[in-house]
Amino acid sequence: MPPTGATAERSLPLGEPQMSRPKSDDSSVLLVHAYLDGELDPANALSVAQQMGQEPALAAEAEHVRDLQNLIRDRLPLEEAPPGLRARIESRIGTTRQPRATPSWMHSWGALAASIAVAAVLASGSTWLVASSQQKPVQVAELLVSDHIRSLMAPEPVDVVSSDRHTVKPWFNGRIANSPRVVDLAKDDFPLVGGRVDVIGRTPVATLVYRRAKHLISLTAAPADDAFAIGGPNSINGYNIVRWTENGVAYWAVSDVEAKELETFAQLFRTSRNEL
Amino acid sequence: MSITPLRPRAGANSPDGPPVRLVTPGAQNAAGMQDDNALFRAVVMPHIDEAYRLARWLTANGTDAEDVVQDASLRAFRAIRSYAGGNPRAWVLSIVRNTAYSWLHKNRPATIVSVDDLEAVELEHAKPDERRDDTPEASLIAKVDAEQLRAAIAKLPAPFRETLVLRDIEGLDYREIAEATEVPIGTVMSRLARARRRLLETLRQDE
Repeated sequence: MPPTGATAERSLPLGEPQMSRPKSDDSSVLLVHAYLDGELDPANALSVAQQMGQEPALAAEAEHVRDLQNLIRDRLPLEEAPPGLRARIESRIGTTRQPRATPSWMHSWGALAASIAVAAVLASGSTWLVASSQQKPVQVAELLVSDHIRSLMAPEPVDVVSSDRHTVKPWFNGRIANSPRVVDLAKDDFPLVGGRVDVIGRTPVATLVYRRAKHLISLTAAPADDAFAIGGPNSINGYNIVRWTENGVAYWAVSDVEAKELETFAQLFRTSRNEL
Repeated sequence: MSITPLRPRAGANSPDGPPVRLVTPGAQNAAGMQDDNALFRAVVMPHIDEAYRLARWLTANGTDAEDVVQDASLRAFRAIRSYAGGNPRAWVLSIVRNTAYSWLHKNRPATIVSVDDLEAVELEHAKPDERRDDTPEASLIAKVDAEQLRAAIAKLPAPFRETLVLRDIEGLDYREIAEATEVPIGTVMSRLARARRRLLETLRQDE
């Protein structure tokens, strides 16, 4: 508080022009703001509350700040990023290489940090469920198309390369909560190329990659709950999308093969008995 | 095989498995990219909304904000291996903030305040605040509409604006704001108090 005449002025009613306000960098003012922001420990909070009770200028400061915070909350609802921004970022990242090779020890730290980050996401229980339940079908489809495009540009479209379903299925164990159904469609001219882990929102999901002539088909399987509601577009940017749900699992097939061929693939996958 | 992977790629070389590709240096790079992607998705992607809003407050334009967020994402991706496991939101927002300022510096040099001028700006803007001795009724600002409020926030000098936005709109705590804006907590506190007072002042004048 400024020392000059503070006592005399404090006895005046609020709103009197003579009342002087403490400077904005006065520590008592900063503490009132910190108090309202919940930044003080209990002892300091108590002493600030007492000070506010004694000094109307501080009480007024608190009231104004609260009004301002309420006003901001009421008038400025949180805006979401425009649709498509995430997909654009993902596809840009997908085609970006790290500027230089990183020493192997850093690589191992990166891997460690990644596993910690993923573990943190999984350990926080319902956090990712809440996050993923906000994924709209369109966003899911967009993400999967981005994943597909990125996989085409990556050195390898898959994390595990194998035409053998007995290799691909176990590879997912330990990476994904439920390893996906893997069927052999080689005799129907849809040979298996391998598998990879994609991420929808923050949820890792299994993606199988099949080949048709020179085209690749990404087939993603995820638990079919509200989060991965079926729906959305049949094609995005020229990539066809076929989706269906079976035994509590939602499937998306994404590819640049013709829609009819993709339907055939989906039909064969659903009816095939050649599974592990 | 010249390089031994540090992290065994389970399944890729399962001993009794049928023929699979051996891990080559190229594959090692691919695995590195996968790790980077996973880390990027875990650390950066959950904060795109906040990143966009902060960029929008700093550039005052939705399209520019999208450009800034895309550039910032690329920067974050390139720096992802230097992310030390701290607060991801503050880390992401500090990159967005720096990207926004470089962007403003390049595209709208007139609007940017250099770091050297910052203290001067704070003092200059602190002065009228100290001179004012009225305490208008708080109810006055209750009539302020969204447009007025947005304009008043946009008028705040950038250091005040970003601090107020991060606290009163995004709900970051002081420590996160200090991290994101790269200043000590004491500075966060004084900027916040000044930002709120200046904002209240502008809103009352609007009435």
